[in-house]
Amino acid sequence: MVLLGKVALGIAGTAIAGIGLICSEGMIEVNVVEKQPEAHHVYVLAPAMLVPIATHFIPSSKLGHASAEIKPWMPTIRAALEQLRAVEDVTLVEVREPGQHVVVAKSGGSVVVDVTDKDDVVHVSAPIRAIESTVEQVAAASAETQD
Amino acid sequence: MRKGIRAIGVCGVLALTMSNLAGPAMAAAAPTERYLHVKVDDASKGESVNVNLPLSMAAAILPTVNKGSLHNGHVTIGEADFNGVDVRAILDAIRNAPDNEFVTVKEKDQDVRVAKSNGNLIVHVLDKTKDGEKVDVTVPMKVVDALFSTTKDNELDVAAAIRALSDAGDAVLVTVQDATQHVRIWIDSHSSSE
Repeated sequence: MVLLGKVALGIAGTAIAGIGLICSEGMIEVNVVEKQPEAHHVYVLAPAMLVPIATHFIPSSKLGHASAEIKPWMPTIRAALEQLRAVEDVTLVEVREPGQHVVVAKSGGSVVVDVTDKDDVVHVSAPIRAIESTVEQVAAASAETQD
Repeated sequence: MRKGIRAIGVCGVLALTMSNLAGPAMAAAAPTERYLHVKVDDASKGESVNVNLPLSMAAAILPTVNKGSLHNGHVTIGEADFNGVDVRAILDAIRNAPDNEFVTVKEKDQDVRVAKSNGNLIVHVLDKTKDGEKVDVTVPMKVVDALFSTTKDNELDVAAAIRALSDAGDAVLVTVQDATQHVRIWIDSHSSSE
């Protein structure tokens, strides 16, 4: 009985540690609500760590163009993301037009994009660390493709 | 076993206390972030754009951009853009001069005024033909000096100007007003433009 308890504790501990590891970079949240013609609602909440891992499995040939485009801008992207992580929460850009409202903000370690127009409401939130890892993966794919 | 648990508990309490003490102290030591705000309102279309950019971010990003005329935080300007005018000599003269109105042009279509006041370079343009467009530019002299602090005559050091702006006080840098549009660029310590 004691042995069974230890095994159960070990399994539970491993599961909790695994979940903790997967969620360590935060969660990516995508929420899309279509208003017209029929109301559709898509909601995705996924561990951010899965994105750079998934990027790793995309063939380099498929990422070639994107990575070639992004590589010259890597120093700028790195500097921007590093500073973005350091600054306090801020609304970076807000655009209001009749029937449309767009907000790009830094909120709690994530970049948040909210778009509201007459047809859709879109909310995307991605942790800065996950964006950093993913962009690094894409840029690294360029080197593999070019070699 | 109990001693071990007690030791871990004591360490935990100590760590929490230290973090609570260190947190405010570190926050107090950190310099206040400054923000560059851009606000564009178009009343005729009911549109508005707000941009709030942390100056530390701009200062870090600019030197990394090497594209077109922007290199390492410097902008290269063609000789033609200066129209043969020795801008540095003019700035030297303005810097050493007391507060004064340097240029006042009043024409049928346009009024132009260039002045120095309280350490700021002020440019005021009123266009009487285009919906009464009114432009006001107020730039601290320190920022202008930083802008022209490069050794090359055809370069502007934008990164140095951003750093100088970070050290300057709250200020409205540019306002443009016409019949329908209002543009405002300013710096302060507030993360929002409201």
